[in-house]
Amino acid sequence: MDRPRELTAEVPRAWDRPVVSVPMLICLSLVGGQLPSFSAQANLYTLGTGGALIWLGLSNRVPRRPAPRRLAPGAVWWLVPVTVFGVFEGATFALSVGDEFPTFSRLADPLLEDHLVRSTAWFAWLAAFWGLVRR
Amino acid sequence: MMRTLAIGGFLTAVLLFAAVEGAARREGSRIPPLGEVCAFVMRYEVGPVPVGRIGLFGFWWWLGWHFLAR
Repeated sequence: MDRPRELTAEVPRAWDRPVVSVPMLICLSLVGGQLPSFSAQANLYTLGTGGALIWLGLSNRVPRRPAPRRLAPGAVWWLVPVTVFGVFEGATFALSVGDEFPTFSRLADPLLEDHLVRSTAWFAWLAAFWGLVRR
Repeated sequence: MMRTLAIGGFLTAVLLFAAVEGAARREGSRIPPLGEVCAFVMRYEVGPVPVGRIGLFGFWWWLGWHFLAR
């Protein structure tokens, strides 16, 4: 027999709370930040963490926030930064003249050599990924 | 000169992302936050296949691999 909706309450899982998930993401980011570029470990770690999050996101193991049925008309404003970024990334990629007119990733590479910056980038990537999984 | 132009362009894009997100978070804003736009994209399905969800996850996975593993 179905229970009335108003009597059911979803109990959040322990690992679903920020007090658990944020330290977990920090630990994963600190490990990721230590792995050198172009190494097999970095590749495997990225594929492993990303794969696990995709698996969680495509299964129904994590509660999701309700998605909007329609977008407000103001959503077109998002095209402004996307277009500016796309124009510069496209131009730098098409011309491919290296450091003279660098792509975004070529500019980011020297910054990501620092372990702290790398760990911060790892955290931003994982936190955003976790946010997408919850959507 | 060209390098400065590229840095300026990317910096402008990043600042614009922050500005639009800031505007979206204001009370009564008609601009949806980026998370809401992503959630809307992830709703897209073709039959039983969650194409929007798979596409966005795949893009984000590739982005992480591109910047953090290479």
